[in-house]
Amino acid sequence: MSPLLETAALSKRFGGLQAVQGVDFRLEQGEIRAIIGPNGAGKTTLVSLISGRLSPTSGRVLFKGRDITTLRAWDRVALGIVYTFQITSIFKSLSVFENVALAAQRRLMTSLRKRIGLRHSTLVERVDAALVKVGLLEVREQPAGALPYGHQRLLEVAMALALRPEVLALDEPTQGLAPEEIAALCQLIRRIASTGTILLVEHNVPVVLDLATKVTVMDKGAILAEGTPGEIEAHPDVQKAYLGL
Amino acid sequence: MSRKTTSSVVGLHLAIVLALLGLQLVLPPFHHTMVARIMVLAAYASGYNLLLGYTGLMSLGHSMFFASGMYGTGLTVYYLGFQAPEALVAGLLASVLVSVAIGLIGLRTTGVSFLIVTMMFSQAFYLATLYFNEITLGDQGFVLSGRLSPLEVGRLRLAFADPTVKYNVALAVFSACFLLSLWLTRSPIGRVLVALRENEERTRLLGYNTFAYKLLALVVSGTMSGAAGSTYTLLFSYVGSSFASTLFSIYPLLWTLLGGVGTTIGPLVGTSLMTYIVDVASGLTSSYLMAVGAVLVGLVLWFPAGVVGGIRTRWASWLP
Repeated sequence: MSPLLETAALSKRFGGLQAVQGVDFRLEQGEIRAIIGPNGAGKTTLVSLISGRLSPTSGRVLFKGRDITTLRAWDRVALGIVYTFQITSIFKSLSVFENVALAAQRRLMTSLRKRIGLRHSTLVERVDAALVKVGLLEVREQPAGALPYGHQRLLEVAMALALRPEVLALDEPTQGLAPEEIAALCQLIRRIASTGTILLVEHNVPVVLDLATKVTVMDKGAILAEGTPGEIEAHPDVQKAYLGL
Repeated sequence: MSRKTTSSVVGLHLAIVLALLGLQLVLPPFHHTMVARIMVLAAYASGYNLLLGYTGLMSLGHSMFFASGMYGTGLTVYYLGFQAPEALVAGLLASVLVSVAIGLIGLRTTGVSFLIVTMMFSQAFYLATLYFNEITLGDQGFVLSGRLSPLEVGRLRLAFADPTVKYNVALAVFSACFLLSLWLTRSPIGRVLVALRENEERTRLLGYNTFAYKLLALVVSGTMSGAAGSTYTLLFSYVGSSFASTLFSIYPLLWTLLGGVGTTIGPLVGTSLMTYIVDVASGLTSSYLMAVGAVLVGLVLWFPAGVVGGIRTRWASWLP
C-alpha cells in the first residue's frame, strides 16, 4: 500500500541556497510525525513544498499515490492537506466566528449553488464544533486581533480543523506559548491525531519526544535520521548535529 | 451574525430604496434630475466600492468600464439603430468583455502596481476614443436624442426624456447595484473577498483560488460601472470621451472615500454629498473646488473612514 504522503527526490533552491535537497519522505496514515533540526535545516521549506505554498525546483510530491507536484495550494487544501503558519496568521480585524467560517465554508462550497447560497445554520454548526474542540466558543463574536496570543494560536488550529484535514501540518505551534498552554495544545494535537495525520515542525524537544510517534531529523536541507523518539534520542549523529549532547 | 441584525440590515437597505422612490413626489424639478444623475453615479461608485472596499484592490481605471458601457450602448444606438433594451445589453456585454480582459492581465499585479496598470490601460482606452474620432466623435461626442423611441410596457409609453421615467430608471439601476452589493458582501463569496483584502496568502492556504475570486470581483465591479455608464447614456443622451478620462476614474474613488469605503451605503452618501457640495459651492463662488478641498481635508481629519464608516465605528457596528 502506498503511504498517505510521499516526496521523491524533492529539492528547492533559493538563488544560491539549496534549502531542501533530494528529500525522500514518507508519511503513513495516523502518524504524528515530528520534523526537527537546527535553524535553516529546511523544515519549514519542506512542509511548504508539501502544502503547495512553494513549488519545488525538482522532485515530486505524491498524496495517496497521486502526483500532486503541480497542484496549487488551494487545490491541495481541497484534498485535505492543510498548513498552519509558523507566525500567527489569522484575520485580526474579523471576528473569531468569521475566521473559522472562512475555513468551514470552504468545505461546504462544493457546487456553484452552494457557493452562492449556503445554509447559515449548517455553517454555524461546523464553526461551533471547531470552536468547541479548541475551547474558544465563548469568544466567538470577539475580533480575533483582541484575543491573547495563546488563544490566537488556538484559533489558527480551529481554522485548520474546520477545513477537515487529512494531513495537518503544524509549523511550530508551541512557539511563544506558556507551559500550561503547551500542555493543553499537546492534548489537543493528540485528540486530532486520533482521526487524522499530523506533521509537526517543532523546536521544543520535550514536546516532540512526548507527542511524536516518529521523528525525522533534518540538517542542511537533507534528512539526517528517522525513527521513533527513543531511537532518535540515542542516535549519535543527531546528538552531534542537533541535540548538542 | 444574528437573525436580528440580518433583518435590520436588510430592512435599512429596503427603506433607503423606498425613501428614494418616495422622494420623487416631493422634489422640485431641478433636484429631480439631479437626484436621478446622483443615483446613476452612485451605482458606478457601488461597483467601485465592491473592488476597493471589499476586495482591497484600488483601481484608477474604472472610467474605462463606465465608458465601455457608455460606448457599447451609445455606438450601437447611433450606428446600428438599437433600441434601449438591446443597447443596454450591448453596453453590459462591452463592460464584461473589457473587465475580463483587464482582469486577466492586470490582476497579475497587486497594490500600487495594480493601480498603475489599470490607469495605463484606462489612459490607452481614453486615447483610443480620441484616436478613432471618426467613429466616436472624440471629446466632442454625440447625442442620442431622437434616436430612441419610447419604451412600450403594456399600454404605457415611456420616453427617456420624461423626468419621471428618467428618475425611475435611474432608481431601478441603482437599486439593482445597491442590493446586489449587499447580497454579495453578505454571501460566502463576500466573506472570501474580505479575507482577500485582509491577507491574501492566508486566504490561499484556506483553499481559495484567490486569482479567480479577484477576477470575479473585478468583473462584477466593472459590469456595475458599465451598467451605470450605459444608463447614463440612455437617460442623459450623451456620449463623449471625457467620461473615459482619468479624472472620471478618480471620482468614484472620492465618492467612495467620502461616503465610507467598505460600507454598502457609503457610495450613495458620498456621491450625494459631493454632488450637492459642488452644486451649492459653485452657486456661491467660481472657485468651488476650494470648498471641495476643504471638505476633503475635514474628512481626513475627523472621518478618516468616511461618513458611513465613521458612523459605523462610533455608533452602529452592525452596519454592513
